[in-house]
Amino acid sequence: MLSNIIATQAVHQKYGGVVPELASRAHQQHIIPVVEDAIISAKISKKDIDAVAFTRGPGLLGALLVGTSFAKSFAFARNIPLIDVNHMQAHILAHFIPPANPLEQPEWAAPEFPFLCLTVSGGHTQIVLVKDYFDMEIVGQTMDDAAGEAFDKTAKILGLPYPGGPLIDKYAKEGNPQAFQFPEPQIPGLDFSFSGLKTSILYFVRDKKKEDPDFLEKNMADICASVQSRIITILLAKVKRAAKEFRVNNIAIAGGVSANSGLRGALQDMAGKQNWKVFIPPFQYCTDNAGMIAIAGYHKFLKGDFVGQDVAPLARMVF
Amino acid sequence: MEYCVSSVSELKDVAQKILNFAERERVFLFFGEMGAGKTTFIKELCSTLGVSDITSSPTFSIVNEYNSQQGPVYHFDFYRLKNESEALDLGYEDYFYSGNFCFIEWSEKIPNLLPPQSITVKIEVVNDDQRLIMVNKK
Repeated sequence: MLSNIIATQAVHQKYGGVVPELASRAHQQHIIPVVEDAIISAKISKKDIDAVAFTRGPGLLGALLVGTSFAKSFAFARNIPLIDVNHMQAHILAHFIPPANPLEQPEWAAPEFPFLCLTVSGGHTQIVLVKDYFDMEIVGQTMDDAAGEAFDKTAKILGLPYPGGPLIDKYAKEGNPQAFQFPEPQIPGLDFSFSGLKTSILYFVRDKKKEDPDFLEKNMADICASVQSRIITILLAKVKRAAKEFRVNNIAIAGGVSANSGLRGALQDMAGKQNWKVFIPPFQYCTDNAGMIAIAGYHKFLKGDFVGQDVAPLARMVF
Repeated sequence: MEYCVSSVSELKDVAQKILNFAERERVFLFFGEMGAGKTTFIKELCSTLGVSDITSSPTFSIVNEYNSQQGPVYHFDFYRLKNESEALDLGYEDYFYSGNFCFIEWSEKIPNLLPPQSITVKIEVVNDDQRLIMVNKK
């Protein structure tokens, strides 16, 4: 991986202007500075590029259109292959990005097929059975809110700023995860539900505040620890079940929530008990990033799996 | 129209009645505090429309698109929007005026961009298990 650039204020300041937070116009404003920066940081020139990979979906259509159009134009102008990538597959394939300096991480290894991947982010919660680079099957997913959303909405209920997931993780470190009990949803099979948990937290906080207006301030760490612990037990219970069902003991996590230290720790603990081999990506490859699209593109490139100029982005995209 | 529901299983019937009431209207605005059941009710409307995809919360994605027998169904949550121009950037007109069903949560965030005609669905929490659903044509 020669470079992996994320649009930030710093990248944008070089070219003037401020960073809008959301939406496709932000993508239009960012794409050229970010690509330029990626090429410069990689110390290569445009002529060295052999193919262009882009996110075809799933996602916000306006944002996908910008990336798709840019990738098409670049591939057309340079006369190089164009490769479409599924964002959710790319999260999983981030596990195959080798370390920048292999000597520093001699223990690094990519997961062996087949493995199970728990992909958890603000918008997704999936258990995926990965049989090969592009042979994946979603075996469980959320029926309502994503795990990341459960974190963010809990933060909102607790009066913490958005996105509150990282803050809950921080407070949870100081708290007692057994202090308060929140219900575990009874969802059959390998699917998830987090909407009921959110509502139970909402009512819990409302009732406790009636008894003591300072309840939140006094118990913030314990509430965060208890909520986080419940979200993690919900996630890992299903992973454990999936591991048994598919007789797989290579377990990976991916997506923004896999940066949560509580989840990482709990997965390691469970791995010890279950005799799993676990794979946890570096932080920079957990949240949305270009590196994961590049590695997915690389494996498609090896297969010669390209798309034509008539390709269109897909807001909804299955494996 | 007003409906008082005391269990999730009663929503199916209410969803069908609201779709009948809406006639040709395609844009539905949902009001209610967090935990009132906006997403849960939209799930029921989608299932009534024959959506086979999993209907999940669009809080993070802003808009979810589902396939139904009657074409795409768009499910919005503008909760995360900081200002109306972000909805403009997202190309909201393409969705709202597509003639397809649009179910919108937190439309309060974009008061000036809403189409002149819509169905409003207000969900009020009576108690932990009961909800009052009020439906109007605007």
